[in-house]
Amino acid sequence: MPSDLILEVRGVSKRFGGVTAVQNCSLAVEPGKIVALVGPNGSGKTTLFNLITGVERLDEGEIYFKGDRIDHLPPHKIARRGIGRTFQLIRVFPELTALENLLVVARQDWEPAYRRALELLTFVKLDQLRGEFAGNLSYGQQRLLEFARVLMIDPDLVLLDEPAAGINRSLLNDLLNAIRDLRAGGKTVLIVEHDMKVVMDLSEKIFVLDHGEKLTEGTPETVLKDERVLEAYFGR
Amino acid sequence: MKWGAAVIVVAILTGLGIMPFYVSNYVVTFTLQIFMWIALAESWNLISGLTGYVSFGHVAFFGTGAYTAAILITKLGWHWLPASLVGSVTAAILALIIGYPCLRLKGPYFAISMLGLNEVVRALVSYFDRLTGGGSGITLSPMNTILPLYYAMGGVALAGLVITYWTITSRFGLRLLSIRENEVAAEAMGIPTAALKLYAFLISAALPGIVGGFYARYVSHIEPLGTFPLITTITMIVMCLFGGRGTIFGPVLGATLLSLFQEWAWSRFLYFHEAIFGAIIVLVILLMPRGILGVLQQRFRLPRVV
Repeated sequence: MPSDLILEVRGVSKRFGGVTAVQNCSLAVEPGKIVALVGPNGSGKTTLFNLITGVERLDEGEIYFKGDRIDHLPPHKIARRGIGRTFQLIRVFPELTALENLLVVARQDWEPAYRRALELLTFVKLDQLRGEFAGNLSYGQQRLLEFARVLMIDPDLVLLDEPAAGINRSLLNDLLNAIRDLRAGGKTVLIVEHDMKVVMDLSEKIFVLDHGEKLTEGTPETVLKDERVLEAYFGR
Repeated sequence: MKWGAAVIVVAILTGLGIMPFYVSNYVVTFTLQIFMWIALAESWNLISGLTGYVSFGHVAFFGTGAYTAAILITKLGWHWLPASLVGSVTAAILALIIGYPCLRLKGPYFAISMLGLNEVVRALVSYFDRLTGGGSGITLSPMNTILPLYYAMGGVALAGLVITYWTITSRFGLRLLSIRENEVAAEAMGIPTAALKLYAFLISAALPGIVGGFYARYVSHIEPLGTFPLITTITMIVMCLFGGRGTIFGPVLGATLLSLFQEWAWSRFLYFHEAIFGAIIVLVILLMPRGILGVLQQRFRLPRVV
């Protein structure tokens, strides 16, 4: 495969019993970009995230990260190669404190890990709540904590599953800036988002999924003019 | 603060060390049993309190250690101390064999598989009667004094406490907690959950293995029904939950308080004390699922080191 792609998904399919969640799906992601994955509910976006991160096993196809095949690896090995993610349904560690939520995933020594964790908590404005159990934080705060947690493992490819859901306007701007900062720092971001304004704001490229298949791909402008996309989203 | 804690620890250890020379045999025996329960409750805490994988078959490791030690003592004439150490190795090997496949099971399925393990081990012990004496068990020659066992059991209880302290205050322990809190997220964040669960399970099985060896020597007679009773596992669980699962001193507190309570209730309500014990289990689960220390930890924002 060409080495200038950071992620390549080739002909991937996944079935749950009789339901085909992802059908012969292919996508290529270039490094250093913010790329969005959009589509109506049930179109297979989250399943695709789960396949890329190894949380689910694919039935057909191949997935390559930085040129290496990763679809047979357990999730923690995929994470250690440099793919980090957040979850659509929040998965913080509720009975660990906000600070511990970050420390526990750190791979660096204790001292630098501690410094970095405090830095990230300050960045998402949770430093005052560092000793609080994550389960006691508000929904939006837990989302931000998850965002900080994925930055803690410093991945080259960041998968964000609806990062803006439940986040208020003032924090949202900070979050969008943070995502842009990631790209400025050389990271690649793959984002699932329902808020079209966020998608248009951020992404340079969009993949549209419908019923588990890739409908189309392109820049935000071209994709939004596509008849099939309008039909999938709004019906005709 | 640090010096104060050290003084308290030394005082307690010295007190327990010289106690047998000043109290009755009854008190020594009773304390020995508390030591046993502390070690067992801490061992259950290590796997179930920290990773959330609830083991309903922990007595299988206890029984395996007891039989290993009893066989080595009677057939090969070993001293009970090395025999019990080998018992802990046997228990850990059993944990390795059973843990590798079973720790992939989630929630109630793991609990049930461990219950099954206990029945399998008990059936095997009954079946190989030339080695184990079958249903009639193994009888060891009586001991003159239980004093060496008192110190040995105390040592294991202390070892269990130290291992738990070391685990909970280390990154290893924090990662085990993340498995309990959300295994999918832990794995997706690069934490090798399968390996960590297995390590915790091995340590957690080795402790009851050695305790079982001491127990065999202490009671001088073991047989399948009395060595693998489900109630022993349940008692470990209740002691751990009562004191506070996932805490360092919770199992110590739970084992001590519940042992004292059982002794008190048993002497007063000969037929009724098991019903009272059952009622306590229900109340603990309903009113404070985090246990005494878990509640205190949250109310007073204590550090994890309790």
